[in-house]
Amino acid sequence: MLKKILFIIFFFYIFALLQNSFFIHFNFFGSAPNLIFVFFFLLVFFEKDNFYQIIFLGFLAGLFLDFFSYNYIGPSIVLLIVIGLLAKKTQLLLKNMENKFPFVYFLPIFLVSSVAYQILAAMSFDLRIIVQATYNLFFAIIGFSIFKKITNVKKIQG
Amino acid sequence: MSGIKNFYIVAGWRKKNKGLIKILAGIIVFLFLFFVLNIFVLPVKNYFYALSSPIQKVFWTAGDGSSTFLASLLNAGSLNSENEKLKKENQNLLSQIALLQLIKQGNQAQSDVSAASQNTGFKLLMTGVIGLDNDILSINKGSADGIAEGMPVIGQQNVLFGKVFKVYKNFSQIMLISNKNSVTNVEILGSEIDGVIKGSGGLASYLDLIPISSDINPQDVLVTSSIDKSFPKGLLVGEIVQKQKNDQEPFQKASVNLFFNIKTADNLFVITNYKRTD
Repeated sequence: MLKKILFIIFFFYIFALLQNSFFIHFNFFGSAPNLIFVFFFLLVFFEKDNFYQIIFLGFLAGLFLDFFSYNYIGPSIVLLIVIGLLAKKTQLLLKNMENKFPFVYFLPIFLVSSVAYQILAAMSFDLRIIVQATYNLFFAIIGFSIFKKITNVKKIQG
Repeated sequence: MSGIKNFYIVAGWRKKNKGLIKILAGIIVFLFLFFVLNIFVLPVKNYFYALSSPIQKVFWTAGDGSSTFLASLLNAGSLNSENEKLKKENQNLLSQIALLQLIKQGNQAQSDVSAASQNTGFKLLMTGVIGLDNDILSINKGSADGIAEGMPVIGQQNVLFGKVFKVYKNFSQIMLISNKNSVTNVEILGSEIDGVIKGSGGLASYLDLIPISSDINPQDVLVTSSIDKSFPKGLLVGEIVQKQKNDQEPFQKASVNLFFNIKTADNLFVITNYKRTD
């Protein structure tokens, strides 16, 4: 468990650095991908319905987002926890078979969560939010296939 | 029978209460954590950035290199570097024109000459860019290097980037002129027309508060004006792309192409000796 937490912290940190320093050079219409959000969402989506774990993940992801922003520490943490819990709840309502994470659920929940996060974080709406959500989705799809493979391997091993 | 019913009601109530207490306790713990983290936000963030700065610099350089490589691939070979070279040359020339025009303007000669000499007498502190988030740039120098809030930040060809927004011991945050909270007084080079550049986020800005009667045209160059004195006069800001005129409004707006380029801004300069004179 501790190994897993350290692993997650490490990835949040690397993604924070990447999105602030590397992917900023690959921005579209001024929007760079929010890799921390993508990783957080993937973890929430592929996690079993452990709501405490979602709160913990939201805290970690929000902390890294707030560390690299010019805001106070806290707003991203609250937003991610709320969005994470709502996304999981929606996923559980939609899911009809246990331990399945079909892409048809993932796509709309991710897009809605991503847009909701951007709107609430910026407190405004413009075209760039859609651009960023699409950009995020690109990385989320890659992440989805990786997470899917990991869960399948775990299932076979288990 | 009613005893059993009462037992279930009490048990249910206790269970609900337990859940509520857990939620309340969680909220209190979070609030306490936020409170503590925000009290120590300056040293915490400074330590965090100091630790990350070398890795961020590597990522920044790698991103810069790979985006340039990708762009040059997409732009068929040397086109991109040639374009960049021409842009730099153009900005250099525009900077010289700005200075010359300032000296030339008859009735404002005194103040303009002093502004021009001020521009050449800047004490510049070179800094490295390490990150960008929501039109706020992070640089690797802070109060320990003599940086203070409000200091103007420029690029190599006197191109305005923004001003120092927050200072930590070893790093600082720069609010770019494209930030949504940024408003910069500008004038059109070679004319008496004043306006403001308002940030619209996503590294973009627009020109506003230009009187409806003023004649502005695409490719008009914008430089900082001396109205609010946040910045030295004559720094290059951008050029007008398209004007948006509505006769029913007292002012006209225009879309603007800002001269600063984040992708090529490895090093920036903080003007440490500019004194805002009110």
